[in-house]
Amino acid sequence: MTRGLTRAQLGVTDAMIASYGETIFKLSNNHQIRRGDPIRLRDFTAIEAHRHELGMSDAQIAERLGLNPTQVTFIRNMEERRRFRTGHYHMLNRLGGGKRFRAERMTPYQDHFRYSEDALAMRAGLAFDPARVRAYVEGGYWRNDTLRGWLVRQAKTNPAGKAVVDASGAVTYGHVARSVEALAGGLYQAGVRPGDVVAVQLLNTLEYVESFLAISWLGAVMTTLYTTFREAELATQLRHSKARALIAASSFGPFSPPAWAQQQKESLPSLKSVIAVGAPVKGALAYKDLVNSDVALPADVPEPTAADPFLLLYTSGTTSSPKGVPLNSHQMLTNARLGTIEHNIRVGDIVLSAAPFGHLYALYSVKMALCAGAAVALLPQFSPADLTKCIEGQRPTHLFAGPAHLAACEGAGLLARTDLSSLRLVVLSGAAVPPDLVRTVEPRLHGGSLCQLWGMTELQAGLYTRLSDAAEIVATTAGRPSPGTEVRIADEKGASVPTGEEGELQVRGPSVFVGYYANPEATAQAFTTDGWFRSGDVARMDGAGNVTLSGRIKDIINRGGVKYNAQEIELLIERMPGVAQCAIAPVSDPRLGERACCYLVPRPGAQITLKAIGSFLLAQGIAKYKLPEQLELRSELPMTATRKVIKGHLKPQSPTV
Amino acid sequence: MGLTGNVDPAVAKVEIIAYAKKRGALAVGVADLDAIERIAPPGHRPTDIMPRVKSVIALGVGGQTQGAWSVPAKAIAYFGSTETRAYSCAYGLAFFIESKFGIPSIYCPPDMDNESGPRVPLQSLKLHAELAGIGARSLAGDILLHPEFGYMYFASVFTELELPADAPMAENPCPAPSCIDMYRKIGQTPCMKFCPVQCLSGTIDPQGRQVEMHYDMAACAEMSQQYEAVPALLAEALAAEDEARRTDTLFDPDHKMLWYKMSVGSGGLLAQCFECMRACPIATRAPQADPIRRAKIST
Repeated sequence: MTRGLTRAQLGVTDAMIASYGETIFKLSNNHQIRRGDPIRLRDFTAIEAHRHELGMSDAQIAERLGLNPTQVTFIRNMEERRRFRTGHYHMLNRLGGGKRFRAERMTPYQDHFRYSEDALAMRAGLAFDPARVRAYVEGGYWRNDTLRGWLVRQAKTNPAGKAVVDASGAVTYGHVARSVEALAGGLYQAGVRPGDVVAVQLLNTLEYVESFLAISWLGAVMTTLYTTFREAELATQLRHSKARALIAASSFGPFSPPAWAQQQKESLPSLKSVIAVGAPVKGALAYKDLVNSDVALPADVPEPTAADPFLLLYTSGTTSSPKGVPLNSHQMLTNARLGTIEHNIRVGDIVLSAAPFGHLYALYSVKMALCAGAAVALLPQFSPADLTKCIEGQRPTHLFAGPAHLAACEGAGLLARTDLSSLRLVVLSGAAVPPDLVRTVEPRLHGGSLCQLWGMTELQAGLYTRLSDAAEIVATTAGRPSPGTEVRIADEKGASVPTGEEGELQVRGPSVFVGYYANPEATAQAFTTDGWFRSGDVARMDGAGNVTLSGRIKDIINRGGVKYNAQEIELLIERMPGVAQCAIAPVSDPRLGERACCYLVPRPGAQITLKAIGSFLLAQGIAKYKLPEQLELRSELPMTATRKVIKGHLKPQSPTV
Repeated sequence: MGLTGNVDPAVAKVEIIAYAKKRGALAVGVADLDAIERIAPPGHRPTDIMPRVKSVIALGVGGQTQGAWSVPAKAIAYFGSTETRAYSCAYGLAFFIESKFGIPSIYCPPDMDNESGPRVPLQSLKLHAELAGIGARSLAGDILLHPEFGYMYFASVFTELELPADAPMAENPCPAPSCIDMYRKIGQTPCMKFCPVQCLSGTIDPQGRQVEMHYDMAACAEMSQQYEAVPALLAEALAAEDEARRTDTLFDPDHKMLWYKMSVGSGGLLAQCFECMRACPIATRAPQADPIRRAKIST
């Protein structure tokens, strides 16, 4: 026997293995050929004539080849090892009961789907604290929630239920599920694979909802592009996200994102597919072809799970250049599922977002609608008139808006003339909510409620008021933490400050991100050493746990060592007659270090002076050191998609004081 | 052992068959020892392990239930203990012959030849059963099929008691009429068509008889007989380009099962693919392949 014997003992060389291996392999029973039925018929002549084809023992082969049996066994083992392909066993696990094998349904082991390096890099970034994971799972926060799972559930239990409504009619969950599955197949055919990033630049349309769900269905990752983005912003985000595909409207006015992207192939090497929604764009795939695709996803494409990243969102960048936030379904859908309960969204409800779907706040509303079996009402693009028309036309039960949206409607005198009776809840978020706005809007809701919500791209909904909260709580605070979320108000050293005192709002919980995409420096700055996310917002907490936001840390004006919160002054100035909007930002001062500059948009015909502002503020009891020392009049201020002023873009044009 | 001088072979055979059937055998036969000795290669003949053997008794026990053919293949992989029922039946039969007739008998070792390694049995139970008339070679890699009982598991007993031999089956039930029809349409029978590794091929003559059967046992083994994967995987791991790849190779979910089988010596859990038998009308729909139907017939 060969076991334990060496080649030297056996007298076998590599040359012998190479010379005799194939013959021995074939003469052994590895390949068997039986001609006729000679054994049953006891046709010994035929058996002898074809014995070598039926498979020979090693002793017989040795006799035939002029080797000894142990040499044959050893050479046979070497040859079998050389030929043996591992990995076939997994096919056995996939052979279903009663189903017959079909080659087209099986993917060879070596050809099995594998994530790209870029996809693996993003997955590697989702590194959670093991103790927190255990707590989220044991606490029931993290389940295997996926948009695909939710859509399948709704399509099964509520196929005729309205999923999307707009002025042209309604689309059911059954229809959306079919479209989404087809689009996922179309995206796959277009080269998108699980883990790939797909950028979307669309208005709030049915195509956006379908794209969001199809990307998720496929296990890919959506990154959103604001519709206002043009060449520079698009190139920056497409490059940073390494987007594999772009789904975009054929044009926004004179600008065509698909046409532009077609010309950027060299500078955007990751971008392989451009998909145009709307009019055909030369060189781009047509969305309508993809959504009508009959391509099924191959069996080896893994069904997405909650741990898979499914969103790569970029922060609104009010203070710095954009940072990518990878998020998985655990984080986002837990928060949405529990929000559905807190906001009382039920099957059959209609959810409307005034914010663009490119923003997480709007996607939050879409996710909750899907979770509850409610419909998403579509407002393609905000204008005060279109929003109020949509409310009257689609009769939403829930409105997710920014304070600026409602302020604009109120400013245009539209809220008083609009039938708001369908609204059971209006959620305001995206920027500081002026208490007066809450007090103005709430009486117009005919029994509906208002809710203040504070969230960030890094965590979705972190704080919100509850339906049972008193009106003054809703008007003056952002409420209490969303389920599972923990917050603390901390000083510069990370210690919690006493109740009622200001400090930085810090957060941790099942929805909080774990790091910026490919940006370890920003990640390190974003977290405290004990794992709390530094929101950068200044806040205080009352005895009942309600949190009031009072500005950004970077909004703090440090005037010669005396610090004060710019937002406090902004809110007062915006109450001045003739002021439409204002923002205060620091400008450098050689003597004081910083001083305040007021950027102000006057109402038409109004004459606002720095002196008048000072007089107004002094009359309000504001200390003199907090008065703005420079005034910049503007026709508009740079705004984020959620109507938040981008203070980083504010630069004084005049040195005068 | 109390030797019995006057044993009527015909009576003894009746008692042996009765015993085996009582223990669960569906079919029992006695193979022509001379034929086995002529066909089996040196080292694999009954006289090689029992020089004074006079008879080879082959028996078959039932294969899978109807339900088993409809569950996922990975579940069927765990029905491997079916074959041990045949072995225990034969084991008992060897004792029965010795105690009843006082004549030395052995339960035929079913597994591989120590020296030749896996896939080379010490004795061919298939050859014994075929010559004993309880199965005929099919196009599905020579798996034996029976027109009444379909697909069975076989075991053998060698004894120095000389028993009258049975003849092989007069007709081969394979290919079944429906398989012939399919072959005439697409050039393949169900077992050939649905083999995941396409290890089967063959030809059928105009009269519906087997002309050639080709069986790529190496390909079949790659899927179902994982003991051959062990050295290959270890070699892959040793040659891996980095630690991560080495770890992946050894801790792959499929391979974890392999290590388990290896560590506990769990031959009974070697996974059979069975796609050829799941597609075979004889294996699944022979008149008495269904145990429930068998029970009804016997009552």
